[in-house]
Amino acid sequence: MLARTRFAVVLRRTGQFQRTASRALSGSPCLYNLPTDKNAQQPTSSEGETPKRKPLSRIAIGGTTNHSQRNSGGSIEFATWKMAALLLTLGGTLYYFFAKEKRRLEIEKEAEANRGYGKPLVGGPFKLVDFNGNEFTEENLKGKFSIIYFGFSHCPDICPDELDKLSVWLDKLKQKGIELQPIFITCDPARDPPHVLKEYLSEFHSDLIGLTGDYNAVKHACKQYRVYFSTPPSLKPGQDYLVDHSIFFYLMDPEGQFIDALGRQYDEKTGVEKIQEHVKAFVPKEQREKRKHKWYSFLFN
Amino acid sequence: MGWFSKTKPMDDQSKPPMRSSRKQCWEARDGYFRCLDNISVVNALDPKHQDAIKKSCQAEETKFDQDCATSWIKYFKEKRVVDHKREKFMQEMESKNAQQIDLSGMIRR
Repeated sequence: MLARTRFAVVLRRTGQFQRTASRALSGSPCLYNLPTDKNAQQPTSSEGETPKRKPLSRIAIGGTTNHSQRNSGGSIEFATWKMAALLLTLGGTLYYFFAKEKRRLEIEKEAEANRGYGKPLVGGPFKLVDFNGNEFTEENLKGKFSIIYFGFSHCPDICPDELDKLSVWLDKLKQKGIELQPIFITCDPARDPPHVLKEYLSEFHSDLIGLTGDYNAVKHACKQYRVYFSTPPSLKPGQDYLVDHSIFFYLMDPEGQFIDALGRQYDEKTGVEKIQEHVKAFVPKEQREKRKHKWYSFLFN
Repeated sequence: MGWFSKTKPMDDQSKPPMRSSRKQCWEARDGYFRCLDNISVVNALDPKHQDAIKKSCQAEETKFDQDCATSWIKYFKEKRVVDHKREKFMQEMESKNAQQIDLSGMIRR
């Protein structure tokens, strides 16, 4: 774009030079008797090369040729700043879009890398019950983006803080038109049956779904998400204890596949931005597969 | 510590701790830790500080024991030591002009 407009300006200039130059030449022979016939016979010779400035000695005294040495076209000046403004806006817009698209592709690649090849690294089939007593499996993740958190109701400080942060995220995302299905999976099924989860989660975001199950089902679900948790060995009934567990939010796409894990470093603002980026960069699997066979597939590798 | 464990509502294992009881516990904890700060005790679990704590922070400790679940008390006391160590480490690093590097945005490849 830049090159072409410059070219146009140059052409215009040379055109003017030709005109003024030929006028100057036609006036000069009678005064100075200069060997101009060669030039006159070949008026086109100046077209190929850029016109040279004539030495001052060759300019007729009192002649009107003075202004011919300069590009006195006001129209050119006008066209130049207009063009510059156009270029700036166009360049700026293009830069903005390319930068944005580049970032989108980066995020998409990140998600793709997390999805892994073949067997998914994180996620997979599980079978739990929600806090209303209904069955909840990996099938329930399909059709919407989900965010999954593992914790337990007797958690002293981190889980409630993280759940409050999640509530802020959910509200902010909703304002931006992004609906997530928030899921809380307990790592402490012994103390968190459905009714306890229901009571516990009632103080957090109203969209939250609590999942529990028997010990083995929970253990299996945690393993699918590479969540580590440990309950102290040899527990007496009614004994008070803590559960160690990993603390990540797992963002899942509408096909039930893992996108990204968000750790504690994401605060109320950056977490929203990260999730929003992922949601916007999401491309359905079918489309991703199709794209692989296109000639421009190298763009996505 | 063991005297109240049977009667504390926070130790009821059949109910989840709610926001209000959590807040109460955290406030009792903060009060207790402020008192420990005043007598320069970091590790409240260390037996050698027991006399000093009994002398200066008796009331705060009783409140903390009453308002928090038994498992939480141990957890908070341990966490205080860890947090203190980390803070000291950060201060030391800062005094050596070390620069903190944010690795949170790394893309895994």
